[in-house]
This record gives sequence, structure tokens and C-alpha cells, in this order.
Amino acid sequence: MKAKINNLLSSIFEHKYIYLMLVPGLAFLLVFKYFPMYGIQLAFKRYMINEGITGSPWIGLENFLYIWSEPAFWRAFKNTIVISLMKLGLGFPIGIILALLINELKMKKYRRFLQTIYTFPHFLSWVIVSGIIFNFLGNTGALNSLLENLGLGQINFLMNKGIFRYLLVYSEVWKEAGWSTILYLAAIAGIDPTLYEAATVDGANRWHKIKYITWPGIQNIVVIMFIMTVGSIMVAGFNQVFNLYNEVVYDVGDIISTYVYRISFQQAPDYGVSTAVGLFNGVVNFMLLMIANTVAKKFGKSGII
Amino acid sequence: MMTKRKFTVVDIIILILLTIFGLAVLYPFYNAILVSLVPQHVYAESPFMLWPDEITLDAYKQVFNDQTLINGMKTTVIVTFLGTVYNMLITILTSYALTKDIPGRKFINYLILFTMFFSGGLIPYYLLIKNLGLINNILVMVLPMGFNIMYMIVLRSFFNDIPDALEESAKIDGANDFIILFKIILPLSLPILATLSLYYGVNRWNEWYHGMLFINSPDIMPLQLVLRNIVQDASKFLQGNTAAMANVETFSEGIQMASVVTTMFPIMMLYPFLQRYFLSGLTLGAVKS
Repeated sequence: MKAKINNLLSSIFEHKYIYLMLVPGLAFLLVFKYFPMYGIQLAFKRYMINEGITGSPWIGLENFLYIWSEPAFWRAFKNTIVISLMKLGLGFPIGIILALLINELKMKKYRRFLQTIYTFPHFLSWVIVSGIIFNFLGNTGALNSLLENLGLGQINFLMNKGIFRYLLVYSEVWKEAGWSTILYLAAIAGIDPTLYEAATVDGANRWHKIKYITWPGIQNIVVIMFIMTVGSIMVAGFNQVFNLYNEVVYDVGDIISTYVYRISFQQAPDYGVSTAVGLFNGVVNFMLLMIANTVAKKFGKSGII
Repeated sequence: MMTKRKFTVVDIIILILLTIFGLAVLYPFYNAILVSLVPQHVYAESPFMLWPDEITLDAYKQVFNDQTLINGMKTTVIVTFLGTVYNMLITILTSYALTKDIPGRKFINYLILFTMFFSGGLIPYYLLIKNLGLINNILVMVLPMGFNIMYMIVLRSFFNDIPDALEESAKIDGANDFIILFKIILPLSLPILATLSLYYGVNRWNEWYHGMLFINSPDIMPLQLVLRNIVQDASKFLQGNTAAMANVETFSEGIQMASVVTTMFPIMMLYPFLQRYFLSGLTLGAVKS
């Protein structure tokens, strides 16, 4: 026992500089990531400014009972899930299809050129992208002007409850589909080229090769990406929604994170209630991610942990 | 032996589909640039343009005369510089330390990864920042963004691939871990360090959220927040209130798009360098780990 402790201590001493290197990163984590978790108790308290987090009185589940009776909360809850599922169903496959198409394009130089274009929007903030979208899709914008010239009439893209969720799905496709292909194309690049040559000799056509060589080659990564996306269903994209939505589309577009933001910074905010909404969302999100990670591991490849 | 196959109908369909998607991505940018460059009467005639009939730099002159935007640029340049240095320092030290088999490494790994899955939420975070006295302090856009876990993993796996023999011989010569890291490991890692710095730089340049939450003073608002205010004001406007628009003397769409183009200009300039390492550096590392 004593020898073991001595071993441990000498190993720690031997690596003293390594521990020193860990100090800044761990200090950052403790202050900015872990310390806020101490404030989660506010979800079970009535926050008093003068008393602070620790001194405020406990009120049990009152904050939760309040939010569960609040229609705006359930609206945000439902919108979060619906928007995420729409992105998963309508947006997720586009990245895969795009990658497969890019891989089939024979002109290498043109292919590089296109990829350059596709990935560019990924590096812009939603603030910039929303500026471009408002201008392009606005009632007096380029697209409506084109539609009108074609005799199709105007469409109010930005303040239409029927359109807003599709605006979220496809603006994300526009911004991120190109970026998502990189992962798939990297997986495709790792496929043994002799497989394709052998298939050609055997008389396989293009479709056969996609189906029996390319697709199996990226299947693992697709499954992992799919599971991780399912796992983050409770995160429908604050930056995007917050920059694109407006009061008219709250009914279909307000998600939990934007809801928390609004109730936290309204006229007379109730910090206990805001924290409770955040905690509820955080716990559901955490469970989904854990499940997703476990399932991803089952598929043979590494999860995040 | 790859036999060169001829161009089939399917090839043409693929070519067309990909080209259409390329145009769909590109055109809104092109249009934004055109709107920022034409005078108002040209835009009023037809907002959908393929070519500018007339070019003016008036919108840009107005943008660069606007003190709020100039201040925003100054703030964002400072934030980007400080933030990138701070991010790289923490990322390098943490990544390197975690390549070593030290007691407690597993626990530290979990400590880091747990923050990807769970957070304290908005209000506790807000109260923390307030208690730290960071409200209205430019450092609020630097300090809370310590490192990106994905980037850390990428760098760690890069460090892991460097042969141990190099470190061993230095160690025999009596060098400590800091000297090994800075004199031996980092010089071998310059390309990936450059790449990660660029990615961090872009992230810091895009900062607006902390500015919105914690900065009230217009003097130190980040550029993207200034832009957001311009864009959001305009969006109310664009919702068809043409009467309000006619009353405004300046060409507001032109100014908005000039602000948008100005804000994304540095990213456009850096983009070729960002792109160079896409396939080689970042993604493969991420896939592997």
C-alpha cells in the first residue's frame, strides 16, 4: 500500500510540469463551465437579488409546475423537436447525396472549384447570413423581384408561418450541406481503389459501385452522424433561429433556447423560472446524447466518449 | 489500370445538378455584393441583377463614416487577436499534457467531455459573468471561450503521432516538459497550429452573442453585433413597409449589404488558407479520433 502511494506520488512529481500545463485549461473549465452548474439550484429557488444564489429561499418544484402550465413553454418544446426532426429528415440526407454526387463528378478541377463554393458559407456567422437572407428573400428583394417578373407573384418568405420552418431547414442546408460533405468525402477517399477496379473488370456499372462499394464505405460515418444528430434534437440552433425569426412566426419558430433568452431578458424576469426551463432542456438533452453515444458505440465505431 | 470512360447522360445530369447547387450558394453573395455597389435607382428598377449597370462606392463611404461600425471593427480586431492567442495557448498546453500517461488523465478527460453534454444554462452563466465584473468589459468576449474540444482532440492526436524518440533524447539531455513542448514539438506542428489559429480566428471574428448579452456600451460592441442591429432594424423595414422606405434619403439596402460585405471581407480573404487544410488536417484527425 505504502509503496503504491509512493509510486503514485513520484509519478505525479515526475510529471509536475505536465500538471502545470493543465492549469489554464482546467481553471477555464472550472470557472466558466462548472461554476455555472452551481447556479442550477436556482431552478428550485425563488431568486432574490439581495440574497444571491445561495441565500435565496427554496421553493421545491414550484418553478417547474409553473413552466409546465405555461403554453408558451410547450409551444417552444414542440417547435424545438419539430424543427430538429425536419432538419433531420429534409436536410441531413442532402449532405450525403451531395457528397455522392461530388464523388461521381469526373472533372477534378471543376469539382474542387464547386467544393470551394459549397463550403464557404460555413465560415460565416448567422448574423451575416441572416443579413443576406433578409435582403435576398425580403418583399422587395431579388428573389421576389424575379418571381414577379416571371408572373408568379410575391411570396412573403420571412413572415409566413407556413414557410418559416422550411426557411430554417433550407437556410441551414445552404449554409452547412457543403461542409458536411467533407466528412463523407474523407471516408470515401479512404476506400481501397482496387475495389472499384475489380468491380469494373466484373462489369459493374456506376450504380452498382455506389451501392456496393461507396455506400458501405461511408455507412459507418453516416450512422454515427445520424445518431449524434438525433441526440442533439433538443438543440435546434439558437444562432440561426434567433437571427431569422420575428414575432409573427413565434408560433412555429420559437424554440426553447430562444424562449429562455426572451423570458430571461424581458422587463421583470424570473430567474428561477428561466433556470428551470434551461435545466429541463439540459437534462432531456443530456439523456438523449448519452443514449445516442451508447448506440453509436454499438455500431462498432467510437462515440464521442 | 483505370480506363477512361466516356461522358454519359448521367454525367451530364450530375454536372447540371451540382452546378445548380453551386449557383444557389453563390448567387445570394453575388447579389449582396451587387446591391452594395449600385446606386439606389438601379436597385429600385430591378433588385434581381445579373450585372451592375452602374457602380458607386457611396454605400461603402457611408459605412466607413459610421463611427459605430468603425468602433465595432476595432473591438472585433482586438477580440480576434486576444481570443486567438488565448485559445491557442490553452489548446496547446491542454492537448500536449493529455498525451502523457499521468495519474488522473482519465478523470480530466471526462471533466472536459462532460461540458459538451451538459451546461449550467443561461441565467447561472449570466450571474457568473456579472459577479466576475465582466459586464461591459471587452474581455467578456475573450475569457469565456477557452478552447474548442474538437480542435483540442485534433491537436492531441497530431501530437500523439509525433515519434516518442525525439522527446526521449531531449529528456536525456535534461530538458523539462515545457522546453520539449516549445522547442521540439511545436516547431514540428506549424501547419496544424496555423490551421487551428485560423479556425479560432474565424470563430472569434464571428462573435456577437456575448456582446449582445454583456456589452451595453456602443464603444465596445463587436462588429457582428453592430451588423446585427443594422440587419434587424432593416428586417422590420423589409417586411413591406415601403412607405417608410421611400422617406429615407439614404439607400438603406445598399448600406446594409455594404456592412455585410465589409464584415465578411476578412473571412473571404482568409478562405483560401482555411480551405487548404480541410481534407488533410482537420477532418481526418477528427474521423480518426
